[in-house]
Amino acid sequence: MQLLNLKDHEVFREWKEFLESLGISNFQENELAQIDSTLGMYNDAGSLVATGSVAGNVLKYVGVCNKFSVHGSHFNTIISSLMNLLAQNDIFHVFVFTKLKYSQSFQHIGFNELAHTDLGAILETGDTDVKDYVHRIPQQPNQADLQVASIVMNANPFTLGHRYLVEQAAAANDLVYVFVVSDDVSLFSTTERLALVQAGTADLSNVIVVNGGQYMVSYVTFPAYFLPTPDEAITYQTTLDARIFKNAIAPGLNITQRYLGSEPFSRTTGIYNQVLQKELAPAITVHVVDRKQASGQVITATQVREAIAQNEIATVQDFLPVTTYQFIQKHLTTLQARIQKGMTIHGN
Amino acid sequence: MEIKKTAIAGTLESSDIQLTISKADNGISIDLQSDVKKVFGDQIESVIKDTLAKLDVKDAKVKAVDKGALDCVIKARTIAAIQRAAETTDTPEWEVL
Repeated sequence: MQLLNLKDHEVFREWKEFLESLGISNFQENELAQIDSTLGMYNDAGSLVATGSVAGNVLKYVGVCNKFSVHGSHFNTIISSLMNLLAQNDIFHVFVFTKLKYSQSFQHIGFNELAHTDLGAILETGDTDVKDYVHRIPQQPNQADLQVASIVMNANPFTLGHRYLVEQAAAANDLVYVFVVSDDVSLFSTTERLALVQAGTADLSNVIVVNGGQYMVSYVTFPAYFLPTPDEAITYQTTLDARIFKNAIAPGLNITQRYLGSEPFSRTTGIYNQVLQKELAPAITVHVVDRKQASGQVITATQVREAIAQNEIATVQDFLPVTTYQFIQKHLTTLQARIQKGMTIHGN
Repeated sequence: MEIKKTAIAGTLESSDIQLTISKADNGISIDLQSDVKKVFGDQIESVIKDTLAKLDVKDAKVKAVDKGALDCVIKARTIAAIQRAAETTDTPEWEVL
């Protein structure tokens, strides 16, 4: 077992050919760039017989040739080596995306399947799991008798458009969970986004704001939200995201309603909304709320970010709750510095 | 002994067991996965529990993926995981062995 240096052309070529021979074909630049480390196992003749990589806490590019081994032994060796490698970096909660036919192999070594489609499955293992996540979310004593709604948002930053969506849900339901996307890859940091959603909904007593963790629109479950991706992959990822929500998150919190903003602009979010409507029914009723307008314009967080970049925040004051506007005023130079450093303001 | 952080010991290879021990606040919980759970599940869990008790661990969450480990292996992996999780690898308690 050894670390493979994929920057070495010869090593990379052998690794790629090995995986291609096993039917793995996606070697796009943006996929490869995410890999932190790669392990490889060689046989006595010096050829690669098993490999696997880690990207953050996700296992990727796992390939095993079983021709000369007792069934499954190389697979178990490579996975435990990857997990020990992650453990050295204090990562104990591990995810994997895999073809449906390999889901069983992962379940056999302690992984639990979160969701699957015909194309693939997502599994997790480690010191915490989705049950712990749901368990940590605050609940009302009589939650089982309540009508509970949910909204998932990035809120980059929280606008009056988001606020309108929350208000609609809060007026029509006993309790509303607002899940804020947890990955820290947006102009406004996760802490800032969470705080602004909290501040902007503080007067709504039946709204609970929680971190969406790794189970909702995260880099793990739904990378296409953050990276340019073909439609087919978006549909696949959003289907998994919807099924995790439906099967693993909603039941424990008695969530039966989900609110979405209509999506006239973002192709990715447009597909996501369609998939959610198809997948969540009938257990969860999906409500699509038309976007709120201010001074004749549809409110979008993208415009707010553009106004920050252009140094014209007064033009979007009508789009923002006072709390968000004040935050931007106070931190304008910090935000602009992030954009100058290359933080993208388009996309999500 | 107090579990301070998550730690892992062992592998998923044949005749071994992979143990992940993490913090908990209400006693010992063991999530065991094993092909021989029906026959040896209780035995495996009791070895883990005994070892935890000998090292005076009162609260811990244990995930165990067994690949046919013998008792001595289970015990060794449990001790290693506890000492890593309790950050006492520099001052191991040999007498429990």
